[in-house]
Amino acid sequence: MSDEEGKIGAVMVVGGGIAGMQAALDLADSGYLVYVVDSSPSIGGAMAQLDKTFPTHDCAMCILSPKLVATGRHQNVKLMMASDIHAIEGKPGNFTVFVKRKARYVDETKCTGCGLCTLRCPIEVRDEYNKGLKLRKAIYLKYPQAVPPVHTIDRDHCIGCGVCETQCEAGAIDFSGEEELVKVDVGSVILAPGFSEFDPRLKTEYGYGVFKNVLSSVELERMLSATGPYRGMVLRPSDGKRPKRMAFIQCVGSRDVQVGNPYCSSVCCMFAVKEALIAREHTPGLETHIFFMDMRAFGKEFDEYYARAEEEHGIVFTRNTRVARVSQNPETNNLYLWYAEHGKMKREEFDIVVLSIGFDSPKDVEKLTEKLGIKLNKHDFCQTDMFTPLDTSEPGIYVCGAFSSPKDIPDSVAQASGAACRAMSEIAGARGAMVTVKEYPPEIDVSGQEPKVGVFVCHCGINIGGVLDVPSLAEYAKTLPNVVHAEDNLYTCSQDTQQRISETIMEKGLNRVVVASCTPRTHTTIFQNTLMEAGLNPHLFEMANIRDQCSWVHMNVPKRATKKARTLIRMAVAKASLLEQLKPAEVEVVKSALVIGGGLSGMTAAVELARAGFDAHLVEKDSELGGLLRRIHFGCSGEDVQGFLERLVKQVEDDDRIRVYTSAELKEVSGSVGDFAAVIDSDGEEIETHQGVIIVATGGEEYEPTEYLYGKDPRVMTQLEFEEKLVTEGEIDAKCIVMVHCVGSRTTERPYCSRVCCTESVKNALRVKEMNPGIAVYSLFRDMRTYGFREEFYREAAEKGVVFIRFLEENEPVVSIDDQGKLEVRVLDDILQEELLINPDYVVLAAATLPARGNEELARMLKVPLNSHGFFLEAHMKLRPVDFATDGIFLCGLAHLPKFFEENVSQACGAVSRALSILSQDTLEGEATIALVDESMCRGCGVCVDTCEFGAPSLIMLENGRQVSHIDGALCKGCGSCSVSCCNKAITMLNFRTDQVLSMVESCFSEAKTPPAKREATVVEEVTET
Amino acid sequence: MDKENVKRLISDMGAHDCVECGKCTTVCPVTRFNPEFAPRLVVVKALAGEEMDLSKDSDIWICNTCEICNNMCPYEVDYSGFIRGMRGEASREGHEPDCSQGGLLHAMMRIMANSDLPQKRLDWITDELKLADKGDVFLFVGCLPQLDAIFEGRNLDLVETARSAVRIMNRMGIEPVVSPIEKCCGHDLNWAGDEKNFIKLMNHNVQVIKDSGAKTVVFPCPECMRTFDLDYQDFLGDFDFEMTHISEFLARAIEEGKLEFPENISISTTFHDSCRLGRHLGLYDEPRKVLTEIPSVELVELEKNRDAATCCGVSGFMSCNSTSKVMQMEKMQDAKRTEADVLVTPCAKCRIHLDCSTRDETPVDNDLINIPIMDFTVLVDMALRGKLQIPDAQDKEARMEDEKPE
Amino acid sequence: MTEAMAPAIEEEFQPSILVFCCNWCSYAGADLAGVSRLQYPVNVKVLRVMCSGRVDPYFILRALELGADGVLITGCEIGDCHYISGNVKAKERIERLSKLLDQIGIGSDRIRLEWIAASEGTKFAQVMEEFTDHITNLGPNPLKGSETGGG
Repeated sequence: MSDEEGKIGAVMVVGGGIAGMQAALDLADSGYLVYVVDSSPSIGGAMAQLDKTFPTHDCAMCILSPKLVATGRHQNVKLMMASDIHAIEGKPGNFTVFVKRKARYVDETKCTGCGLCTLRCPIEVRDEYNKGLKLRKAIYLKYPQAVPPVHTIDRDHCIGCGVCETQCEAGAIDFSGEEELVKVDVGSVILAPGFSEFDPRLKTEYGYGVFKNVLSSVELERMLSATGPYRGMVLRPSDGKRPKRMAFIQCVGSRDVQVGNPYCSSVCCMFAVKEALIAREHTPGLETHIFFMDMRAFGKEFDEYYARAEEEHGIVFTRNTRVARVSQNPETNNLYLWYAEHGKMKREEFDIVVLSIGFDSPKDVEKLTEKLGIKLNKHDFCQTDMFTPLDTSEPGIYVCGAFSSPKDIPDSVAQASGAACRAMSEIAGARGAMVTVKEYPPEIDVSGQEPKVGVFVCHCGINIGGVLDVPSLAEYAKTLPNVVHAEDNLYTCSQDTQQRISETIMEKGLNRVVVASCTPRTHTTIFQNTLMEAGLNPHLFEMANIRDQCSWVHMNVPKRATKKARTLIRMAVAKASLLEQLKPAEVEVVKSALVIGGGLSGMTAAVELARAGFDAHLVEKDSELGGLLRRIHFGCSGEDVQGFLERLVKQVEDDDRIRVYTSAELKEVSGSVGDFAAVIDSDGEEIETHQGVIIVATGGEEYEPTEYLYGKDPRVMTQLEFEEKLVTEGEIDAKCIVMVHCVGSRTTERPYCSRVCCTESVKNALRVKEMNPGIAVYSLFRDMRTYGFREEFYREAAEKGVVFIRFLEENEPVVSIDDQGKLEVRVLDDILQEELLINPDYVVLAAATLPARGNEELARMLKVPLNSHGFFLEAHMKLRPVDFATDGIFLCGLAHLPKFFEENVSQACGAVSRALSILSQDTLEGEATIALVDESMCRGCGVCVDTCEFGAPSLIMLENGRQVSHIDGALCKGCGSCSVSCCNKAITMLNFRTDQVLSMVESCFSEAKTPPAKREATVVEEVTET
Repeated sequence: MDKENVKRLISDMGAHDCVECGKCTTVCPVTRFNPEFAPRLVVVKALAGEEMDLSKDSDIWICNTCEICNNMCPYEVDYSGFIRGMRGEASREGHEPDCSQGGLLHAMMRIMANSDLPQKRLDWITDELKLADKGDVFLFVGCLPQLDAIFEGRNLDLVETARSAVRIMNRMGIEPVVSPIEKCCGHDLNWAGDEKNFIKLMNHNVQVIKDSGAKTVVFPCPECMRTFDLDYQDFLGDFDFEMTHISEFLARAIEEGKLEFPENISISTTFHDSCRLGRHLGLYDEPRKVLTEIPSVELVELEKNRDAATCCGVSGFMSCNSTSKVMQMEKMQDAKRTEADVLVTPCAKCRIHLDCSTRDETPVDNDLINIPIMDFTVLVDMALRGKLQIPDAQDKEARMEDEKPE
Repeated sequence: MTEAMAPAIEEEFQPSILVFCCNWCSYAGADLAGVSRLQYPVNVKVLRVMCSGRVDPYFILRALELGADGVLITGCEIGDCHYISGNVKAKERIERLSKLLDQIGIGSDRIRLEWIAASEGTKFAQVMEEFTDHITNLGPNPLKGSETGGG
């Protein structure tokens, strides 16, 4: 299945962690078939082990599990678990990949994930998911929410007793399974294998593995998790007691040449702050200390988080120090931390110590790269180029996530989308070639018909049937109003039962279906398809969860549980009787994108859109393209940025698919996803266009300092001005230069970190040293935030003699002019605790990056939010870094927050990928379950407008002059909050209509109305309940 | 629909007398904004013996029962009484109206009707207030405390009306009886057609008053007053206790020289005739007498006043729709045009609805409606204490700050 | 408790409790309790809504009017709401309703709002246990037996 050029419309994603899943979903939504290959038995990666995520303390599983389900259920995604790449052949657009698939000894098509096998398995093994703090069985599911929910037999430990086989009603156990080699044809490959944890044993001075109360940060994470070994409690391994004093040691396996990891792992600082906060929450009275060199809080709202941790939550931060060693008090198993502070050796006692372990490159990375032929950098991570951060050294093979450099979740997700964009555009012509769309018979109109409900009660093997009296439930269902058919099935979700349901619907003319079985969260879609096969609207379906929320949780009281199941079925039938056929609104998608901002991000987005085969309209407020990038000349390794910019501008200007508007701005936007109407003012001319999506790439600008004599003395300049000077003058006439960091950043007024300025300073310092090693360079900084591989440049600068002087916020350097007219800089060196006096020729200020000036107006126009600093606020800080809550509008680059060149490129590609999932559809189906306004009941008060976070309701004027609310179905997410807030109940929430919910409430208690005499007095549960 | 019941209703309400002159329609505020509706059509249909739709989307629920039609009818047909009767029919058939607040208030009333739960209805009482367990004067507080809970966040402090009433009475040497077991008067249930639960509340309340031995019951709420005076007595015959609205009570007290007003800042007021107090009970002069007797208070009449007054747009917490809103906007603009400092309303529910409308996203410019709203009893109490002041007007911006009740 | 023990507690009051669960966090937490086979009292019945912001105070009052002994509303932790702020709104609404319940004598202790995350199967089971105990101690809904409430 390939296009005329022989390209294949399928992509292989290696790695099923958060990055791999995001890439897979983007690709699958855009019409490509995706194979997700992961060596683990289930997807989820490292994020599945997390308890909470920083800085919002989102429950990791809450936000991850919808992604797991979406990936597992997507009809264009094929999961290849417990598999590895064996070999690859072919060329970009047409690869053949040989995948080695290990036997899992459980038939994936038969296993229902019920877990009975696990309950009975006699063998207990170290549970890697819980870092060995817990045991698992030899037949197991990696974690409870694992996708696919298929068990695996660990043959290394299995004794082959066969108990699982006897337990498995589905007959899924297959001991004869063998490793197989599968051949898969794909057009592109994305590598998202993640990382491996640094082995803290290698830092012998910290005693990990020797002292019981020294933990790794990942072990602590499992302890903190509600699903972890101690259900969220932190306990000292030596005695099981709650700790009172906890210390975190940072940079274990990071920024450490000795262990071969000179780079910074980027995430451990925030990870430690988060764990310290959560550990305190979970452990009353716990004192937490973090020992570190620099606090690398460079992400969105990280610095505020860090400040809150210290000021509001009392976390003790010990700065500028690396703990030298840990020793143990053999009697108490308490630990002594030895460290230097202001040049003096100190010892402090703790009862538990956590090592913030860094990122290593993924396990067996050499094998993978050898087979794929891609190059690794010197740290064994994937080698990438500043200009093409998503491409590996092999064309057609792309990279994202921690494998290209250690990074946190949002950066990984943005990159994953970006890699998907690169992978797609390579095979743009083959879009849709490999995916099939299922055809259903025409829908029968049941409106006006009396409800005829069919009830199917599932035994789920013995999962339900072993506890509840399932046949009696089916009999009971027959007595309920509107029920014309009820039956019980061994497995209602099995292929043959679904076939029978479909036939029964047609035979008996059922127009509503209730399935009483497991959870609607995983099984609704399956049964909805069954309804559609019988010609019924999928929304005429309701589930009663009598397994996860009944038989499994009331195993010891079968009779009462059966009675509860009756109530649950009665509630489901009551609602089902009131269900109606729903049709989602359809919008025809305009195959064109509006990109606001013509800097690096905007231009990258436009080019990628064009490569993918769509039109892009690029709006730039200046008279020429380039934005802030026009002021950047070279990269850290000497890359020619201006040359790149020139090529990029030419590419944009030459592309027929890209229309550029300069000296232009957006005047007006209306409409919604799929069809936005935008009015662009370009050089005074007003142009009206229709666009399917909008990408916000408004960039940022350099802060104009008011500090340090800037603007008063020409010898004081910003880093960008200095860079300009270095390049244009080619030499530098100076003996001494002082650089000051954090000018306008991390202040009371602007508490955020501008992220790039530390590296920018290091870069320019290196350039000075390169030009003339004799020039003295002093860099006055607060925390050196050269995260990731940038750490190497910091080290190089120090090696080349750049003097780094740390000052504290309260002791800002003072720049003045002495009586001889020379510049004079005074600074209190925090480490030496003495004041230094320097007379430099130039003072160079690392000025903050500010949000673009027009952001507020644009935000108002697009109805999207800004954060308190004026940067745009994404839909979700962790998992939706390039989306807005409003569908069809995306963001990237400095509009989101200050960031590096390669990060901007990745994010711009990411925004395009998200946009392609819309642009690649011809028509867009909205949610079917949306809120509707009854105009006759609406008073147009606008409370719904204030309630909705997604901008779905707006006030419109009717012809008769009345103002009423109107809900845009394309924007409504179906939460129903507006319906509650509406004082006159003019808003109906489809599928959760007031009468539907009330019918369930009423039927929950309706049996209570039966006269007591009719009850079976002999069975106690029957008497006592309700 | 029970034909016999409808026949009886037609005769009870004098609907036979309708000559289809259409005067009722010309004054009906609902018709003005919703031409589909006309009070006489409801009656005409019934007279013609037509099988009527009593479900929630029918005409019988749209009517505001403001009785401006009754007032206008040359033959004194009781349209609102007829409508209420039809709602009773609908209720017996299992139809319920669409209630604003989703029926929360009606459910609360049903619960009160069917149980004797220990209510916390006296939490508003402060130490300064002197009350008695038994006595001649009974203060019927009604649902003010509950409404404050439901509309919390709007800072209405409706129960201040009760405090003010007690303070005024104390000043006159009266220590009124307030009851912890008093229940909602049932006004809203009655007008929603739920006669069964209404009667339960009625019987309870009448018993509470009888047990208290009071000779006079004072109502700060026009709805409670109407319900006792007209509806309860309709069912139970004349009571041997006197019922008086606070405005009558105060007017009399002033006449008898029992109240003296100290010096205050000057305030000009305009008065909203709530339909229950005005058209239903005919109490137009009493509140005006009180307001004009306060030395520092000036009264400016609204353009539409007394029996021509527009209603606040909602009655009995049913259908608060765009028709209601147009009425509210009209009322507020009328009030603002008087250039008075405050709009005074005797009815807590009118105050809720009018306050709500000014917080709305309205097509009407804020400057045309931003007049503060004050409760009648509270204003009198403040004047008596020499503490008269003009509250801030509620506006759209305030909505963003206070949480909007739902 | 085992079936065999049941007759011994024949006279014991068994409350009937309605639990509103939001689809994304609490309902998933309830499912996890199931997957983990955590046992909790049979008295609770879950009604799934997409968001705790969909729970109209009237639904709760109606359940109580019909004889529910307790009503539990569960949603995502503040900050975790799938719809950004539905849980915040639920919280405000339920606080208001609580005051009303106190005033009319049903008592706000018959309803409770809890945040339960998708990973908190244990918490779900614990909350069910605790709330059932709490309601058992409170005794039956006084509206039961009245015409409004169930019998």
